Amino acid sequence: MNETATFPAIPFEDHFRLSLGDFQRILGIAQSSGGSFAELFLEYRAYNFIVMEEDIIKETAESISLGLGIRVVAGEKTGYGYTNDLSFEKIKKAALSAAAITSSPTTVRVVDLGQIRPVHNYYRAREIPHSAPLGKKIGLVKEAYLACQKSDPAVKKVKAAFQDQIQYVTIANSDGLLVSDARPLLKLSCVAIAQKGRRREYGFSGGGGRVGLEYFVSALTPAEIGKAAAQEALSLLEAKDAPAGEMPVVLSPGNAGVLIHEAVGHLLEADFNRKKTSVFWDKFGSRVASPLVTIYDDPTIPAFRGSYNIDDEGTPPRKTLLIEKGVIKGLLQDRLSAGLMNMPLTGHGRRQDFTDIPIPRMANTYIEKGEYDPQEIVKSVKKGFYADRFQGGQVEDSGKFTFSVSSGFLIENGKLTVPVKQATLIGSNVDILNKIEMVGHDLMFGLQTGTCSKEGQDVPVTDGCPTLKISKMTVGGLR
Amino acid sequence: MKDDLLFIAERLVQYGRACGADEIEVGIGDGTEFSVDVRLGEIENLIEAGSRSLGLRIIKDKKTAFAASSDLAEETLRHLIRNAVRRAELANKDEFSGLPVLSRRTIDPATLAIFDPEVGRLESKTKIALALETERIALADKRITNSHGASFVTNEGTSVLASSNGFLGECQKTYCSLGVGLQAGETDDLVEDFWFSSQTHFKDLEAPEKIARTAVERTVRQLKPRKIKTQRVPVVFEPQMTAGLLGFLFSCAAGTAIYQKASFLVDKLGQRIGNDRITVIDDGLLPGKLGSGPFDSEGVPSRRTVVVRNGILKNYLCNTYAARKLKLKSTGNADGNGVSPNNFYLEAGPHSPAEIIRSCEKGLLLIRTLGHGLNSVTGDISRGAFGLWIEKGEIAYPVSEITISGNLGRILKTVEMVGNDLEFRGSICGPTIKVAEMMVAGE
Repeated sequence: MNETATFPAIPFEDHFRLSLGDFQRILGIAQSSGGSFAELFLEYRAYNFIVMEEDIIKETAESISLGLGIRVVAGEKTGYGYTNDLSFEKIKKAALSAAAITSSPTTVRVVDLGQIRPVHNYYRAREIPHSAPLGKKIGLVKEAYLACQKSDPAVKKVKAAFQDQIQYVTIANSDGLLVSDARPLLKLSCVAIAQKGRRREYGFSGGGGRVGLEYFVSALTPAEIGKAAAQEALSLLEAKDAPAGEMPVVLSPGNAGVLIHEAVGHLLEADFNRKKTSVFWDKFGSRVASPLVTIYDDPTIPAFRGSYNIDDEGTPPRKTLLIEKGVIKGLLQDRLSAGLMNMPLTGHGRRQDFTDIPIPRMANTYIEKGEYDPQEIVKSVKKGFYADRFQGGQVEDSGKFTFSVSSGFLIENGKLTVPVKQATLIGSNVDILNKIEMVGHDLMFGLQTGTCSKEGQDVPVTDGCPTLKISKMTVGGLR
Repeated sequence: MKDDLLFIAERLVQYGRACGADEIEVGIGDGTEFSVDVRLGEIENLIEAGSRSLGLRIIKDKKTAFAASSDLAEETLRHLIRNAVRRAELANKDEFSGLPVLSRRTIDPATLAIFDPEVGRLESKTKIALALETERIALADKRITNSHGASFVTNEGTSVLASSNGFLGECQKTYCSLGVGLQAGETDDLVEDFWFSSQTHFKDLEAPEKIARTAVERTVRQLKPRKIKTQRVPVVFEPQMTAGLLGFLFSCAAGTAIYQKASFLVDKLGQRIGNDRITVIDDGLLPGKLGSGPFDSEGVPSRRTVVVRNGILKNYLCNTYAARKLKLKSTGNADGNGVSPNNFYLEAGPHSPAEIIRSCEKGLLLIRTLGHGLNSVTGDISRGAFGLWIEKGEIAYPVSEITISGNLGRILKTVEMVGNDLEFRGSICGPTIKVAEMMVAGE
């Protein structure tokens, strides 16, 4: 599919029942008390959900979200109002709420809005799921469910869920920008619970992205998802408790991208650096990691869950170099921080929905591949921990971070031996980044199912990494 | 305004029936939000807004479909209902589906005291001033080196619910909260924490002075942490940490997790799951508390449910569906198509927090956790942790970069002391507790 294939103009008049003239009037009201910037964010989102458990299609859901958010910026201050009643009176009220952030009345100027279209299309949806028949989607859920259930008699409980959405956004601002995007998003996931004697274990898998239903034929089949979930639960039935203490840790490719997301990505979001709360704020251009480490965030990877044609401020995104050979080279920017820090926009201003102010966020974050053969990396460890599957992580501005390992292996004399379960890895980011001793040549991305939370806002993301070796890290297991 | 919402909900119930739904339930929420964030003495964000949202459930031939919308245009809603009836037809028959039987018991929302008219009358400048004052007091302490900012938030909401079983209810609720987040130490040795107060009634909020001083104390006590050797020791949970543990217990005692066999508490009803110090209650009727309300999202009246009494598991917390699956009764915990807690708490015990710390020859006072390592299927817990090391009954020094791990089942059986400091700071809460032994991993 041609990347720049004709991208349809988004008919915002249909969804929002507002005209270009209305946008100009509202922007005028928003700027009636002054301020350096005003912006409208209009959103229409249609969402479908299907769940199968206990051998039946138990429920389906459809949800529609419609609304408008108005932002007025004055220096470091932001006023915000939103409404899901798109009558002119309610919109005017929201605009005045946003305008209340400043009080330097000015003559209202009429903004000339020049409509543009996103230059690139990073979505790969041929068969748009939103308009596909429900019966076809139910078929996909059933395929994943049955494949999981039939993997092994020890699989006692299965739950498969399908979600699709299409989000139309239109952004108009006082700089004259008017741009729209239509973002598809798809996810099929499966949970398995396996039982052996009194022991029960849990497994998860899934896939999707900014794709159409054809993805489940060409990229990843529902049956593969179901089997992977079963496999994880089954393997955990045999797992021992994880070890506790400091030891060398090898991270599996793909899934361990969550470490980069937590340990590096969040703390290079521009807002934390502008406010000097991030441990990185005074280290721009300095070495913070082993020279083997190069990290990017790239919202332009086709079909990926974290990708978008424009961010939620209308900025076209850029593949952004964050760390090059251990040295901090870039930050993830939104308009507010880029302006105040006098740095270029990177297209990372995102928001959960129209009720939220955009903030700098990650999209698809990954550590660049290195030179080592993955087997060689495992071979180099005499006694250590191989972290294979992950549940997520958390970081605070000081750089302390954790991530949860659902399954892994002991490494003994350069070989993976005993399977182990449930451990938390904890570290301090600069310390751990400097302890990355080997980077594999096998860059992979984790499941296309991830969601990142920041300040109460959830956005879809992915992350990736090659096999990594950390010379020493605290592993919190039970043994 | 409220009557207007009830009218819309009732009319949609009628429309759903006319479209062929056997049963239909429509809930509408109408809320206003005010939120101010201040940082370093200046307003950072000011949000004022109102919004409505609607959720509905349709059952036809024992087949269920859900829908939701924030677009309340009549044509959109009617379209959603027609679609839902069609979608229900494509789902499978489920003999356990369906709305609850209408209860004869009703609860007057006024007796719950969860609406404070003063919240709506507060002027913006008063709310902004409270946030500024809280941060100013905190920053006046020289040990504090940076601020995450202070926030004041208020919400006023009306929710209505109409069902084809004859239920018609409405409820008004208010919420306000004031909090501040701080950092101390130099860039490469930062520690951080926050403190907040949230209530249904404005007059019950802690004063800016108290919130600021608590946030400062909680932050600076972590300065200059040490690492410790990996070992098994007694762990004392501060009330906020006990609340976290109870949140995990709630997810394991939820009827939805039980019938899905996704909890270590499956088949444990009537059995001992903790020692006799453990009594856990879910109570939706406590006056003025954040988790109180007259009815749940299915219109089942709220009640007080003993979940664990002196260590014996007495009840799972169920919505109507989970209750039918488990041959139990709904406990009034329905929330959307899942369950959520009302006021879910561990009953206080006899010991003061100071006495509990004094009882430890060596141990960890757990003050914060980081990360997600909870597995409800097994009860396993493994999280990053921050704490204060206890030696000879006294706080010795802060520790960080450690993890704690254990199993909720084992923890409930090995709680040695329960504190007398239960405070209803949220809808899930507990007092200080001491657990006999957990694995603390460090060096």
